[in-house]
Amino acid sequence: MTDRATVPGPAPAGESTAAAPGSVRHALAGRRLVITGFTGFLAKVFVALLLESVPEIGQIYLIVRRRARKEPAVRRFERAVETSPVFRPLRARHGADLATWLGARITVLDGDVERPACELATETLARLTGRIDLIVHCAGLTDFMPDPTEAVSVNVAGAAHVADLATRLGAPLMHISTAYVAGDQGSVTVPESLVVGRSPNGTAFQAAGELCALTLACRAAGADAADRKEAALARARQLGWPNLYTYTKGLAEHLIGDRPGVTIVRPSIVECARTFPFPGWNEGLNTAGPLAWLITTPYRRLPAAPDHRFDVIPVDDVARGMVLITREILEGRGGGVFHLASSDVNPLTFGRCIELTGLAFRRWTRKGGGTPWEQHLIRHLDPVPGPEDADRGIGRWSELLQRARDAADWIEAREDRLGGALADRARGWSRQTSAWLSDVDRVEKMLDLYQPFIHDNDYRFVTDRVRALGRTDPDLRWEVDDICWRTYWVDIEYPGLQRWCIPLIRGERAPTDPPGPTPFRLPHLLESP
Amino acid sequence: MHTAAFVRAEGPLLPYGAVRAAAWLAANAQDLGSRAARLGGVALAAPFGLSDPILALRLAWGALRGTSEDRLEILGEEYWETQLRGKLVRVGQDLLERARADGHRVVLVSDHPDCVARHLAEAIRADVLVCNQLELRAGRATGRIADPLASRFGGPALQAFASAHGLSLAGSLAYGTAGTDIALLAGVGRPCAVAPTAELRRAARDLDWPVVAP
Repeated sequence: MTDRATVPGPAPAGESTAAAPGSVRHALAGRRLVITGFTGFLAKVFVALLLESVPEIGQIYLIVRRRARKEPAVRRFERAVETSPVFRPLRARHGADLATWLGARITVLDGDVERPACELATETLARLTGRIDLIVHCAGLTDFMPDPTEAVSVNVAGAAHVADLATRLGAPLMHISTAYVAGDQGSVTVPESLVVGRSPNGTAFQAAGELCALTLACRAAGADAADRKEAALARARQLGWPNLYTYTKGLAEHLIGDRPGVTIVRPSIVECARTFPFPGWNEGLNTAGPLAWLITTPYRRLPAAPDHRFDVIPVDDVARGMVLITREILEGRGGGVFHLASSDVNPLTFGRCIELTGLAFRRWTRKGGGTPWEQHLIRHLDPVPGPEDADRGIGRWSELLQRARDAADWIEAREDRLGGALADRARGWSRQTSAWLSDVDRVEKMLDLYQPFIHDNDYRFVTDRVRALGRTDPDLRWEVDDICWRTYWVDIEYPGLQRWCIPLIRGERAPTDPPGPTPFRLPHLLESP
Repeated sequence: MHTAAFVRAEGPLLPYGAVRAAAWLAANAQDLGSRAARLGGVALAAPFGLSDPILALRLAWGALRGTSEDRLEILGEEYWETQLRGKLVRVGQDLLERARADGHRVVLVSDHPDCVARHLAEAIRADVLVCNQLELRAGRATGRIADPLASRFGGPALQAFASAHGLSLAGSLAYGTAGTDIALLAGVGRPCAVAPTAELRRAARDLDWPVVAP
């Protein structure tokens, strides 16, 4: 084991100190960036880190989609600054002056990546042409099995629209993809490269043609989203992608990857922040959240290969990597592919991850978390990795619960003969067993989705390029080899998932920060299309 | 030259020995099969508890072969918090406080491995911890306790330790409870038997060491 102490990230650069020549701050001072996907988990951390570590940034244009009529783009931004925990450091640093400070650095553009030119107004396009140093495209759907029509619109067409916009504005593009575009390849070392027109299983294909075929297949599948998903998944699997997320992200890479000025950045599984904005920060449903939730259910045997790598990367490390790559692109050293991953220098295996999750759950329940059922029984039954088989140990549970529900329904149907009190109780049992059956069904679906990642494939993502940048900046460093997975998983990741992610799985709302006494408003006007 | 108060954890401070910790960790192995097998291994140590405590210790911790370092560390903390922290022996704590007030550095000597003993050392604000180390390979316990054993702390090991830390043994104190502590107590100028076993009580009587009973 090569655990080392978790080293805190670099302290945010203060505005009082001058940027050292050659540093990221120096390289980014006065630069103008366009960023998409601000409302997502990663982009928010990237923007907040950029503002925190490069206060001299020229201007950040955020393309934000208005939410119907009631919430314009700028209001979505303001609400995020007001209530999202990711902005705590900036709120603490600037206090009442934050609106003025941000107003000088942020412009919110009402736009939509699903539309050509991101639906930006002609005069906005004219004003930005030739004045943008980099476009960072973070927008994307990260569900593993979204409606393919929507996934194509956001992940594929969206990327093409943003690439077109970059060409039109004369700016380079940083396209955020995923390391898992590697697809189903078994145990492999994945290089930082893209062979356009070659799918993960080696099939030669044309991205534009595949996109047309996919659209036709979805159309032929009809109005039912489940049928469309099946049709799209069949196409994905033919090319070696295990789900619609990696398929559409892969198609986007093949569609725009060979255009000049495009740099592809592939993070692996983006998880809770190590240090920025604070340890444990997470937002939305991520990959490890459902697995952590699974550990709180009576289901104890995860069909995972214990020695396979689970390539996790904290969100703030990804954001730091993106800032470092931004400098590279601005200084003319961009292009190609960068992996932001941990499996090549500091791998975490599934076996270790499952054991750490069980231990973290045990500690969490010991400190008062969880239900009495979890505190007194589940915590003493550690999850274990098990072999993948057709049943996964679920079938027996499912059968038992179905029988229990049938019995309850039988009693309920004989209310007139058996009496109202018994029938009432049977109704309760029936409801409870139905809820448990739905949990079992969820577990089964989740395991189907996760199987390619936790069992079938073992990836080692090469990170040579970002590691070469990692030690060159005094303020920002790529230090993934320093992560102590035990400390990270038990003290940071698991509590973070419990606070920010698992409530969403349970159908509850994740907590937000209370807004300040006066509503936060950017001092400049919204630019409309 | 400084002086120190050497205190054996098991007895003067803790009501339980390190074999119990091994049994607790065995009962909390990752899967049910390992729990049964490991508990069986620890049970083999029981008959030797009185006749050969060091053999018992080696057998008990040997049953944890294959346990991950993660589990030892995290459950070591849980064992301390749930099984030991609320049960510290009062008389031992009072003796330590007095020694600290008299200007002695506190050296905690424990049969428990580092993953448990470290928490006790923090709680009693020990200046130095001398404890057993479980041998690890590729992040898993090999089942061996690395030499030298803290249970045998005394004689030349004690002298080497004192010289490395600039301690005068003649002016130092030592507190122990079991027969295995005789070498430690004999090495300092001011030994003291705390709630001693019969073997240590006999030695204390023969060597005219003070005896403190709880």
